Amino acid sequence: MATASMAKKTVRINGCVASAQAAKYSDVDVITAYPIRPYTATMMALAQMVANGELDAEYIVADSEHSQLSIAHGAASSGARVFTGSSGVGVHYAYELYSPISGSRMPVQMMIADRTLDPPGDFGSEHTDALATRDMGWLMGWSCDAQEAFDNHLIAYRIGEDPRVLLPQMVCQDGFFVSHITTDVALPDSGQVKEFLPPYKHPYPLDPRHPVSHGPQIMPEQGPPLQLERARAMEGAMTVIEEAHEEFARVFGRRYDPWIEEFMTDGADVVFFMQGGHAVTARHAIRHMRERGAKVGLVRLRTIRPYPTDRVMASLSRFKVVGVVETNMGLGSVSSGGSLYAEACAALYESDKRPLVLSFMAGMGGEAIVLKEFYWMTNKLLEAQKRGKIEKRTHWVGFEE
Amino acid sequence: MSTKGTHIPDWLQVPFAGITPAPSQTKGQDLFPTGNWRAIRPVYRDKMPPCNNACGTNEKIQGYLDLVKRGKYLDAYALIKEDMPFPSVTGRVCYHPCEQACNRGQYDEAISIRAVERFLGDLGQALPKDVVQPGPPNGKKVAVVGSGPAGHSAAYQLARLGYEVTILEKSAKAGGLNRGGIPDWVLPKEVLDREIERLQELGVTIKTNVEVGKDVTWDDLRTKYDACVLAVGLTEPNSVRAEGEDKDGVLYGLPFLREIGMGTSTVKLGPRVAVIGGGNTAIDCAREALRQGAEEVTMITVESGKHEMPAVPEDLHDMLEEGVELMHGLAMTAVLGNGKVDALQLHPARFTGAINASPIDVDRETAPAKVAVDNVIIAVGQHAAIKWLPDEFKTERGTIKIDRFGRLGDTMFFAAGDIVQAGTGRQLMVVNAVGDGKRVAFNLDKAVRGEPQYERMAGGDVITDLNRMNMTYFPHFPRVQQAMLEPSSRKRTQDEVILSFSEEQAQEEANRCFSCGTCNACDNCYLVCPEPCIVRLDRSNGLYKILVDYCKGCRVCIEECPTGCLEGVPELDFDTGVVRMDTAFAITPGLHGRQAAELKTVADRTKEI
Repeated sequence: MATASMAKKTVRINGCVASAQAAKYSDVDVITAYPIRPYTATMMALAQMVANGELDAEYIVADSEHSQLSIAHGAASSGARVFTGSSGVGVHYAYELYSPISGSRMPVQMMIADRTLDPPGDFGSEHTDALATRDMGWLMGWSCDAQEAFDNHLIAYRIGEDPRVLLPQMVCQDGFFVSHITTDVALPDSGQVKEFLPPYKHPYPLDPRHPVSHGPQIMPEQGPPLQLERARAMEGAMTVIEEAHEEFARVFGRRYDPWIEEFMTDGADVVFFMQGGHAVTARHAIRHMRERGAKVGLVRLRTIRPYPTDRVMASLSRFKVVGVVETNMGLGSVSSGGSLYAEACAALYESDKRPLVLSFMAGMGGEAIVLKEFYWMTNKLLEAQKRGKIEKRTHWVGFEE
Repeated sequence: MSTKGTHIPDWLQVPFAGITPAPSQTKGQDLFPTGNWRAIRPVYRDKMPPCNNACGTNEKIQGYLDLVKRGKYLDAYALIKEDMPFPSVTGRVCYHPCEQACNRGQYDEAISIRAVERFLGDLGQALPKDVVQPGPPNGKKVAVVGSGPAGHSAAYQLARLGYEVTILEKSAKAGGLNRGGIPDWVLPKEVLDREIERLQELGVTIKTNVEVGKDVTWDDLRTKYDACVLAVGLTEPNSVRAEGEDKDGVLYGLPFLREIGMGTSTVKLGPRVAVIGGGNTAIDCAREALRQGAEEVTMITVESGKHEMPAVPEDLHDMLEEGVELMHGLAMTAVLGNGKVDALQLHPARFTGAINASPIDVDRETAPAKVAVDNVIIAVGQHAAIKWLPDEFKTERGTIKIDRFGRLGDTMFFAAGDIVQAGTGRQLMVVNAVGDGKRVAFNLDKAVRGEPQYERMAGGDVITDLNRMNMTYFPHFPRVQQAMLEPSSRKRTQDEVILSFSEEQAQEEANRCFSCGTCNACDNCYLVCPEPCIVRLDRSNGLYKILVDYCKGCRVCIEECPTGCLEGVPELDFDTGVVRMDTAFAITPGLHGRQAAELKTVADRTKEI
C-alpha cells in the first residue's frame, strides 16, 4: 500500500485533479469509477496515478453508477478505504445505494462535481444532483475552490472513518467553476497526511476468518433502533467535525470554520447565504459594493449535513435581510424556488430576531452568476430592508426587472 | 440534539448497524426472524404406520425396517424384542397382517416384512447372549399357565418388568401351540427350543407336566402367587358329529400335529388321506400327511371354494403345489368302514350365514357321495378345557370371561390368547396371542401397582392414505421373493419349505419401506428448507428442530416430506415458541442482545479455527 512519499509543494491544478490528489494522499484502497462529465477528470487523473505506480489501489470501472456505488459499498464492507464519485444524473442513477451505504455505516467517500440534471443534457453546475440526496445519511458539504476541495476530502475521510461516526461522505464542488478552473493548490507533505488521517479500520469487516452478516433482513421493530443509531451517528459527528477541523489547522496550518464562512459580515445589514463556488464571485461583488456603501456580507454554508442549525441561527439572526442564493431546484418547495431557503428559514424560526429571508434562483443550468447579478440581488435585499418586508420569496435572477 | 436522551431498550439493542454473526448451520440467520410471516407451522408428528397398527402385538415394524436399511441389525433386533419375544418364530409362522396393511401394496407390492423379521430373529438366535435383560426384581411372583404364544409373551414381558415368573405347562415340553400346532417344516424345533432357552435365560422358570385342575388348583394359584396369567389356549379338538368318528384311522388335527411336534406320535397313515376342514390347521394337516407318507391327500371343505377358506392364501397355494386335492361344499356325515375307516360319506353342505361363523346346513335329500380313504383327519377347530375354572369366569362360548383389560373380575387373575379371543371375531393367530399376552402382562403390572390399565397397547392416527405422502420419492421396485424348496422335493421331508433372506435381500427389502407417516431421518426437510431454519445435531437420529423464529411457513418441507410425518399446523393453534400473527410486531425478547454478545466473541472464536 505504500504510496511514494511526497514533499510539500504548490501545484496549479483544477478541482477535479485536486480531488484526485486528495484521494492519492489519502492512500485509498479501492477506486470505483464510471465516466460522466465533469467529474470524469478526477477519475482520469486517478487512473494515471494508478497506472504510473504513484498510487497502489484497486481501480474498478463499473458498468453504471449503480454498480459503481454497489462495488464501493462491498469494498468498504471488506474494510477498504473507498473513493468514488459522480456528477448530475450519474449521482441519481446510484440513488438506491445511498441509504444502504450509510445504513450499514460504511464510510465511502464520494466526490461530486455538480452537473445540472436532465432535461436536456447540460454540463453546467447546479447543486440539485447531490442536494437531492441530502437526507440519506451522508455527511455533505461544498467546497468553493480547488484548495478547499483538496482539504475537504482529507477532512471528510477523517470524520467519516472516526469510529464514533462511520458514515459516508459526499465532498461536493461546483462543476466547471471549481472542477475545471485551475488554481494554485498547496499539496502537503505525505507525513502530514499520515499524521492527520490514520489508517482506516472498520470494526466488523467482511472477512472469511471472522464471519459476520451485513445488512440482513430485519423485523419492523428492529428498524427504529437502527435509524436512531444512524441519527445519533449523524448528530454525534458534529463534535468530530469540529475536532477534525481543529486538528487539520494544527497539522496543515489552514483553518476553516467547519460550518460557515462569514465574509465581510461585520456591520452588515444584508447577507447572501449560499454554498459552493459562486461564493468566490460573491466575495468580489461584496467588496465592490462595500466600497460603494452597501452594508452587505456573505455567509457561506460549508457543511449542510449535518446541518449546523444553531450556528446558522446565531449567524443569520444578526442581519436584517438574508438572500439565499439557491443554485438548486426545489420545484414547488416552500419558496417555490430552491431547497436552501427552507433550510435557512427553519434554522431561524426559533430566533428572537428573525431577519427577512428571500431567495434567488441564480446560476441555474450552470450559468455563471456574474457581478452584475450580485449587484441586482443586493439591491433587492436593500429594498426589502428599507421596506421592512420582502417583495416575494423567490426571485428568478435574470428574468425580472 | 434530537437524539439526546434517547434510550434503546436492551432487548432491541442492535449489533452494530445490523451486522450480525454469520448464518450458521445450527443457528440459521439470527437477525432474520421471519417467523411472524408464518401462518402454517411445520410440525414433526409421527403417525402410526399401518403395518405397526395391523400387527397383533404392534411391533415397531417401520422402525426396525429403517434400522435394517441402515445396517443396524442389532438395534433392529432389540426394537422387535420390545413387543415380540420370538421373532424367529413369527418370522416363519406369522399370517403377517402387516403385509396386508402395507401401503406399498397399493403402489406395487407389499414389503416382505415377515422375511425381514425372520432375518432379524435368526440373527438374535445366533447371538451368544440376548440383548434383552430382566427388569430389576420387584419381589412379586406370577404364575403363567401355558407356554404357548400368549403365555410365552406374558412371561417374557413380566420378566422384563421384574417379576419372578413361573410357567406351568401341561405337556412334557414347553411351547404350546408353537410346538404342538406348527409343523417342523414351517418352524424347526431347534428354533423354538432356542427361543424357550432365551425365556429361561431371562429368569423364567418353566415347570412342565403340570396341569391346572390336576396338579395344581385354582386356590393354589391364588395363594402361592401374587398374580396369575391364564394362557391355556384351546386344546380340545372339535368334532364334526358324524357317525363313526370313533373308528380306527380317524384322527383329529391338533392332536395329530401335537404328537408329531412333541415327538410322541405313533401314527402310520395309509396311502389315501382326507382332511376335513378349510382353515390353517387343516392345511398344515394335509401337508403334514404328505410328509407322513400319504400318497393322495384330499381336503374336504364346507366352504364353496378357495376364496371362502379361512386360510393364509400363500399356504393354500403351497399346499396345492404339493399336490393336495380340494373338494368343496361338502360335509362329512359318516365315517364308513368296519371298525376301521375305509370310506367317507359326504353330503352337500353350506353355511347358513356368515362363512365359518354360522351353523352348517347339510343337504341330506341329495344322495351322498362316497370317497374311499385310509385315514381321515378332522381339523375343524378346537375348544377349551377349563373345567377347573370357577363358573363365574366362564363365558357361554366356553372361554374365560375377562373385563376389557384382560382381568378376571377383581381377582389378580388375567387371561390372554385364544382362551379369551375365541369367538370374539379376532383371528386366532400366534401374533394376536403374543399381543394379548403383552397387553395382559402390562395390565397385570398396572394392577399390581394400582395404576390405570390400558384397553389397547397402541393407538393414534394410522396413515393409510398415500396422498399424505410424497410418492415422487419412491420409485417402483418389486418385492424381494423368499426362495422355497421345490414342491416335489419338499413334500416328503421335514425340511423348512421357505428359505431365509440373505443380508443383502433383507436390506433390499427394507429399503422399499415408505416409512409411512414416520420420520426416518431422510434429511429431506433439512436439505430443502430455503432458509437454513431446520437444524439437527447429526444425521440419522431424526431429531430435527424447526427454528420457529425464522421459519416463515413456506411449506416446502411439508410438501417434500416423503413420509408425511411433517404436518402443517395453523399457527394460531400454538401459544408458545412463536411470534404470533396477532402480535406480529413483537419479537422474541433478547434476540438482539444475544446477537450483540455473540458478535463480540466473533474474533475470539476465530482464533480457535
